Amino acid sequence: MGLHSYFGGATIQTLKMAAVPASASYSRFVFSPISRNLVALDSFPRHSPSPPFPLLARALSMAAAVQTTPPSSEDIGTATGSVGKPQWKAAIDFKWIRDNREAVAENIRKRKSKASLELVLELYEKMLAVQKEVERLRGERNAVANMMKGKLEPSERQKFIEKGKNLKEALASFEEDLVKLSDELQQEAQSIPNMTHPDVPIGGEDSSAVRKKVGSPREFSFSVKDHLQLGKELDLFDFDAAAEVSGSKFYYLKNEAVLLEMALVNWTLSQVMQKGFTPLITPEIVRSSIVEKCGFQPRGDNTQVYSIEGSDQCLIGTAEIPVGGVHMDSILAETVLPLKYAAFSHCFRTEAGAAGLATRGLYRVHQFSKVEMFVLCRPDESDTYHEELITIEEDLFSSLGLHYKTLDMASEDLGAPAYRKFDVEAWMPGLGRYGEISSASNCTDYQSRRLGIRYRPAELAASTNPKKGGKGNLAPTKFVHTLNATACAVPRMMICLLENNQQEDGSVIIPEPLRPFMGGMEVLLAKHHTG
Amino acid sequence: MGLHSYFGGATIQTLKMAAVPASASYSRFVFSPISRNLVALDSFPRHSPSPPFPLLARAVSMAAAVQTTPPSSEDIGTATGKPQWKAAIDFKWIRDNREAVAENIRKRNSKASLELVLELYEKMLAVQKEVERLRGERNAVANMMKGKLEPSERLKFIEKGKNLKEALASFEEDLVKLSDELQQEAQSIPNMTHPDVPIGGEDSSAVRKKVGSPREFSFSVKDHLQLGKELDLFDFDAAAEVSGSKFYYLKNEAVLLEMALVNWTLSQVMQKGFTPLITPEIVRSSIVEKCGFQPRGDNTQAYSIEGSDQCLIGTAEIPVGGVHMDSILAETVLPLKYAAFSHCFRTEAGAAGLATRGLYRVHQFSKVEMFVLCRPDESDTYHEELITIEEDLFSSLGLHYKTLDMASEDLGAPAYRKFDVEAWMPGLGRYGEISSASNCTDYQSRRLGIRYRPAELAASTNPKKGGKGNLAPTKFVHTLNATACAVPRMMICLLENNQQEDGSVIIPEPLRPFMGGMEVILPKHHTG
Repeated sequence: MGLHSYFGGATIQTLKMAAVPASASYSRFVFSPISRNLVALDSFPRHSPSPPFPLLARALSMAAAVQTTPPSSEDIGTATGSVGKPQWKAAIDFKWIRDNREAVAENIRKRKSKASLELVLELYEKMLAVQKEVERLRGERNAVANMMKGKLEPSERQKFIEKGKNLKEALASFEEDLVKLSDELQQEAQSIPNMTHPDVPIGGEDSSAVRKKVGSPREFSFSVKDHLQLGKELDLFDFDAAAEVSGSKFYYLKNEAVLLEMALVNWTLSQVMQKGFTPLITPEIVRSSIVEKCGFQPRGDNTQVYSIEGSDQCLIGTAEIPVGGVHMDSILAETVLPLKYAAFSHCFRTEAGAAGLATRGLYRVHQFSKVEMFVLCRPDESDTYHEELITIEEDLFSSLGLHYKTLDMASEDLGAPAYRKFDVEAWMPGLGRYGEISSASNCTDYQSRRLGIRYRPAELAASTNPKKGGKGNLAPTKFVHTLNATACAVPRMMICLLENNQQEDGSVIIPEPLRPFMGGMEVLLAKHHTG
Repeated sequence: MGLHSYFGGATIQTLKMAAVPASASYSRFVFSPISRNLVALDSFPRHSPSPPFPLLARAVSMAAAVQTTPPSSEDIGTATGKPQWKAAIDFKWIRDNREAVAENIRKRNSKASLELVLELYEKMLAVQKEVERLRGERNAVANMMKGKLEPSERLKFIEKGKNLKEALASFEEDLVKLSDELQQEAQSIPNMTHPDVPIGGEDSSAVRKKVGSPREFSFSVKDHLQLGKELDLFDFDAAAEVSGSKFYYLKNEAVLLEMALVNWTLSQVMQKGFTPLITPEIVRSSIVEKCGFQPRGDNTQAYSIEGSDQCLIGTAEIPVGGVHMDSILAETVLPLKYAAFSHCFRTEAGAAGLATRGLYRVHQFSKVEMFVLCRPDESDTYHEELITIEEDLFSSLGLHYKTLDMASEDLGAPAYRKFDVEAWMPGLGRYGEISSASNCTDYQSRRLGIRYRPAELAASTNPKKGGKGNLAPTKFVHTLNATACAVPRMMICLLENNQQEDGSVIIPEPLRPFMGGMEVILPKHHTG
């Protein structure tokens, strides 16, 4: 997608922009596709109690070429108070969508999305018209104001006063329409999915293409047990107590299972750190707006997200969310890209609507530990990093001796944020099927346009508009691309390790790479269950 | 506290009793101190959709000696203010020891009203007696009607039986209400207090032990926030935007340090015979209550999940306490020692004005918690063991700390005695709490329903209760909990105490093998 907004020549002392609390009902960031490419961004420092400022405030952008209107004290954001008002705004490139309507329409079809392109374009055209009218009225009002600066007959002056008053009223009414239209447009446009990589197979789940296959299912000379049976004999889990204490699909890990989780997390972190990833441990409670900006739905009947009572916060379903938020509303120097993170967190999912799906044992649970990789990079590099991420995943799983296949996921199975997605499915002999153990997605600028993560190219574009010159001749900012990929989802990894490495005597061999992280332990032995 | 309830001779196939979901509005477990020592416990298997059953159902207890009333379809339990579950509070013991209980309430500066509890208890006993009298009469009438009777006589008995039934229903309703009120009031009575506990407020706490002395610095010390900034270990600013204030990201070596602390701590306590656990962090609110915490209300420390009866744990003590809920353990399995790793979540409501700098008071943190279930006569010994383990851990890491025997007003309701460890934090310039070890005796086990059956047969067993197997009566276990490692506070200590003049931080030797041999955290050039 092209880039149509610029921060221009304003000197930005900190690379991290100010932000308003998510509870404020207006956006600090409006992509307003009018001729001057205005971008509103507030100038309040972090952590100060942010006073309200209007939706259409024009702030420090494009230096002197643009007049800056100070934040008005009128609280437009809450005045409208219309239902369905978005709490934040994605920097969606409406002009690009209009100019590429066939491609967008085809993409919506390919992905079986419910987004309505027609409605988006209709709202956009309406908004443009109102925008034009607003500008015309502003011009007239300014002209009238200028006229009144000179000497005038009292009757003439009275006429201008009258005219100015009428103009002001008309303007207020159009401005209100503009806010409403802009909200509606935003609401509708947010459901448009990301574009799709040309190599993605078109269709439903069955159309996903196998990219790679490693190993083959192990042949057993004895009857295999599933991980639940093994866990019971080895005293590794307690689902029954967890059902009483917490609810179904919760569990305690016990004895060697605890060591195995710690080993998996430690080993995975050490592996990805060697590849240049910065380790993180993240908050697991985040504002709902961050969840939305990453492309998840924190509300509604079928949400996967646990919400905190009496607040705008919820529990994360994946560390992708808090890591996506680390650089929210900031402009990064190009030289720091790519940023590669490996985040360890617990993940919480309601699993609403999962009835009937495979739910045995550890396969689908409400809480689990996971190491997630996350990359922020230049747009031209995201395909390369996508390949890097899937290669890292494959190397990790190969090191543990798993038999797996990598899929290029079909268009209808991508979800809204991903441009392309590679899933890894590993063989689980106890469950008798392949099960997803990881997913690597290239989200291009879908998340960064919502999270407001830009970078400023280092070299000066030769064609820089001379008008924008001034302070420092900075190149215009661009949105980064974001990618995320599972390095280790602990419970599914445990299923694979227990079921694939079981021995006839009921013991389970620990893969060699994990042994140094378990004090040299080589095998899980069946124990006499006490209690 | 004495034990006044028995499961008697019923054959219990599994050691784990059935339980109803916490959303059901009655208790499966009523301690009812009437002459027959009835205990209601339901006979529904685990995981089956549990149909409602009445508060006073008499179920599978004491074999044939007790008549079993089938669950009534009437939903008695939905009255307002009704407790969602019942603690097996020993009202008779409280009445018989009212002076000691009253003094204990005073000592602990508790708001519990003993007078009200005793008044409700006497009232309840009176109604109970009346109910039993009426039941007897009703049975007598029913027996009379079994014989041959004149029609007019029979009609008289029918009339009498009907009146008795109505009166009985009314008294039974009163009984339920009184029992609920009594439960509500009595739940706020704190645990008794160990005789050695110093009496008074926070300042009265006694120093039990002091190890080391504050390190002398030849340079001006930084606090952990400053060190973390220079070493690129935390991001509080991004977390404030993404989550709110008092959240944080750990970064770079801080991640390795957390992993090392958890791994090392687990390996240490496993060597002492503790079973490692990783626990659920979302639990039913009733479990939080049964452990003696308040999951609701303005000043609650617990985050609640919207649209459910669940909340986030503030400590692994809660899910570990729940592991053996509503069960009877064999004496031979005691003591059960667990070391549970979990993330902990706290609202820190009301913490404004308290020390909140950096990692000291945060909404989310990692912790390894020890938890012991043992025989009552052994809990003091295990309390000593727990505090010794804590002290050994902190000494191994080279901390300067003191151990306090916490004063009576600072114990909270569940603890019979509590030892806190406060370590020196040179950057913050003060001692800060890094752990707490509590003996909760039977306060939690009476709420969670955790009993054990003594192995040897008491010689004085009531012959009437004989029958199947001559089992000894069950007793409530004692529970203890103790922090093995609260990661952020440990990080404060390690960073601030081990800082060097060049801004680097030395990693204590025991942790190095868990950090790939890393010996020091070096300042780095901050990029981005």
